[in-house]
Amino acid sequence: MNMRIFAFATALACAVFAAREAPCAPSVKTEHVEAELVADKASAQPGKPITVGLKLRMQPHWHTYWKNPGDSGLPTTIEWILPAGWKAGEIQWPYPHPLPVGPLLNYGYEDEVVLLAELTPPANAPDARANVKAKSKWLVCKDICIPEEGELDLVLPVAAREPPPEPRWQAHIDRARNQLPVDARGWKYQSALQGKSLVVLLTPPEGTGAPAKAAFFPEREGLIEPAAAQKVTREGRALRIEMKLADPPPAGVKAVKGVAVSDAGWPAAEGRKAINVDAPIAASLGVAAATTSNTGALGGGTLLALLSALVGGVLLNLMPCVFPVLGIKVMGFVEHAHGEARAMRMQGIVYTIGVLVSFAVLTGLMLALRESGTQLGWGFQLQSPAVITLLAALFFVLALNLSGVFEWGAFAQSMTSNLSARGRYADAFLSGVLATVVATPCTGPFMGVAIGLTITEGAGMALAIFAMIGLGMALPVLVLALFPALLKKLPKPGAWMETFKQVLAFPLYATVAWLAWVLGAQAGNDAVFALLAGLVLVAMGAWFLGRWEHLQGGWRSAIAIILAAAGVLVAWPGAVAPMTAADAIPAARAGELPWQAWSPEKVRELTAAGQPVFVDFTAAWCVTCQVNKRVALNNDAVVKAFAARNVAPLKADWTRQDPRITAALSALGRNAVPVYALYVPGEDAPHLLPELLTPSLVLAEIAKLPAAKQGSAITQR
Amino acid sequence: MNRRSSLAIAVSSVLALAGANPAFAAASPGQPAPGFTVTDLDGKAVNLADYRGKTVVLEWHNFGCPFVQKHYRSGNMQSLQKKYAGDVVWLAVNSTNKTAWDYTEPAKLTKELRDFGAAPARYLVDEPGTMGMAYGARTTPHMYIIDPAGKVVYNGAIDDKRSTNVEDVKTAKNYVVAALEEMKTGKPVTVATTTPYGCTVKYK
Repeated sequence: MNMRIFAFATALACAVFAAREAPCAPSVKTEHVEAELVADKASAQPGKPITVGLKLRMQPHWHTYWKNPGDSGLPTTIEWILPAGWKAGEIQWPYPHPLPVGPLLNYGYEDEVVLLAELTPPANAPDARANVKAKSKWLVCKDICIPEEGELDLVLPVAAREPPPEPRWQAHIDRARNQLPVDARGWKYQSALQGKSLVVLLTPPEGTGAPAKAAFFPEREGLIEPAAAQKVTREGRALRIEMKLADPPPAGVKAVKGVAVSDAGWPAAEGRKAINVDAPIAASLGVAAATTSNTGALGGGTLLALLSALVGGVLLNLMPCVFPVLGIKVMGFVEHAHGEARAMRMQGIVYTIGVLVSFAVLTGLMLALRESGTQLGWGFQLQSPAVITLLAALFFVLALNLSGVFEWGAFAQSMTSNLSARGRYADAFLSGVLATVVATPCTGPFMGVAIGLTITEGAGMALAIFAMIGLGMALPVLVLALFPALLKKLPKPGAWMETFKQVLAFPLYATVAWLAWVLGAQAGNDAVFALLAGLVLVAMGAWFLGRWEHLQGGWRSAIAIILAAAGVLVAWPGAVAPMTAADAIPAARAGELPWQAWSPEKVRELTAAGQPVFVDFTAAWCVTCQVNKRVALNNDAVVKAFAARNVAPLKADWTRQDPRITAALSALGRNAVPVYALYVPGEDAPHLLPELLTPSLVLAEIAKLPAAKQGSAITQR
Repeated sequence: MNRRSSLAIAVSSVLALAGANPAFAAASPGQPAPGFTVTDLDGKAVNLADYRGKTVVLEWHNFGCPFVQKHYRSGNMQSLQKKYAGDVVWLAVNSTNKTAWDYTEPAKLTKELRDFGAAPARYLVDEPGTMGMAYGARTTPHMYIIDPAGKVVYNGAIDDKRSTNVEDVKTAKNYVVAALEEMKTGKPVTVATTTPYGCTVKYK
């Protein structure tokens, strides 16, 4: 009797909506959960599957369970009661969250979960309203557990027409869909039992990388100790997850199935955070063998990466910050062109060693810091205001020297003309170090991909790639040193050299100006003033050194050093109030793109709403980024094209450390800026544009997008 | 034996306190059962070694849990406790910590046990959770059987119907009954490990 009254009430409630031909599903409230059936579309088509969901809204801190509930608990069940001829698919479970309870751990959901399923009406379903019913049972727990159940109704119109979306429920279904694990393309999975551990190895497809962190949720209950910490490490390119096996482990396990979840997302997985893993258990993983065969065979991708690293390294020499150093070095050679060929050869080799050692140190530092959990990418040195300040002071001193304000004098002679062999080697080594330090801001056009590989290929590969970049950078000097005959093609030494030297000072002054601007972006206006005031003191010290050059005695150097030290002290950036991303983005001016601050959620939101998104991964200290922005992005034609296709420009500013951006870059297989990504709604992976942009290149990419609908809003701020 | 086992428990509880994720031990079939000395509801010390030569059943218990209620409302657990009272020592264990929502004071617990007609030989109050951790007990109920030689022969669920539905008790395959019957006829226990189901044990 009760039942009938309930059903009648439902039908009555739904009758109100009947006129609107909209689906209707009254919600059921229990003490801790509000349950409701939802549908993707406003109607079902005969013979076509429609996605429906059981939406459970839990009270704060209460949770329901995944298909494997972990240490305790019970998975939610749904029993469909459908009109004749209808078919229901399996429950599609969004990826679970770890829910610790004291020393134990459960897998489940807090706040809201939508368990999805596909329902298919028969091909001959009549145009009418179908009554879909679900009997569901769930265990909802906080400190205690309450078994609850509900009988839920969904009255769904069936019609032959293309079903319109159902706006009330779309967002809930979309969110759940985004949390469904997917089969990532090209990934390989292996697993093995090693003593008391279960090891799962996830190998990404060639040319992409695995995220640094992930958690594994096995489908099978009682396979692992859910609460024992999972050890996640890199093994070559692969991600290795070691878990504690349950004691005793279940017998007859042939494969490990489950879901791997990473907040950074997985490459080749539609940007999802969770992927399905099905790993056959092998006697041993043969990881060592696989890794050696990789490096031994040097796949095409690896060779190409090493080659691009070499070319990128050579191109670094043309960057405004590196060129003067190269110039000085070459001039030194010109001066010595008629000297000993052997000594010169040695100098070239020592310079190369200097470059390689500094690259190795920087790479080692980056890897060590990454290992310790800090999210870093190449160029990380420049994310620190202190490093920027020191570099600015260094460049300024070098520039003053080139301008002829002072000579290095007793302690270093001149960079170009040190006479003792030992001093010459030290000089060559130091110019190698210097060249590396100044080169880091300028990620060369070909280096992006090569550097990206280093995060995925493990430490050995990272070192190899950076060694190739270093070799490339040292190559011009090395070639000149090894083949002195080439020097004869250069002009003879003479008065022009002094002029050339002084001219070389200007790119260095320009670099100082740029560093001051970077510091401004990082630490604000006051820091820039402090830097400039400090540089005045440094200039005074240099002038002191040059003015009384003829005088002997240590006091001259002492005063110069004191003045320079005082300068650095004045310039030293204090505690810097971190600026938020919003602060960093000024209002758009006419003729510029209306940039908005980037966040992964924003990208998802906008693309889900059907808007294409262009992301500029940039940093103030990245020269290439600034050039691209001025030349190719803030260009009238490009701005108009963005507006016409309703493309949302988002700016991911990496000027300061931002682990989210590092993670996003890593998901794209990159580890340095610039990166330009165009997300097209409905497509899994973004289009990556080259690192050197031209307006026509951007326009061509934008032109491939469909035109924005008439009357739809142009990008809003 | 006595001293050594309490030492083992002391050590394991120190380990448990030391780690952020306490080393959760296990009592696997074929292994010697972890020793324990725990006070029962009447304030008397109960030691595993006292029951050498007898079969011991451990039942992790908490009336606040709907899974436990299923087996008491149906009368299932009490009837087993009574049925095997002659052959085995049935020990109910409660590892719920004092701050948990469903912790029950001893006096009230005694009354509830009486009202339900529960008949375990002893009811162990493992409020610090030391014994539960040593056994790796994760749910209520979680069942263990220890043979007369002191070895674990069963670790797992009470039956194969993981639900809170009282009706399911009738149709479920009871693993504990199956194991005890096999032991009676001198056979090895066929199903020695299952995944326990129920509410999480509320450890400290």
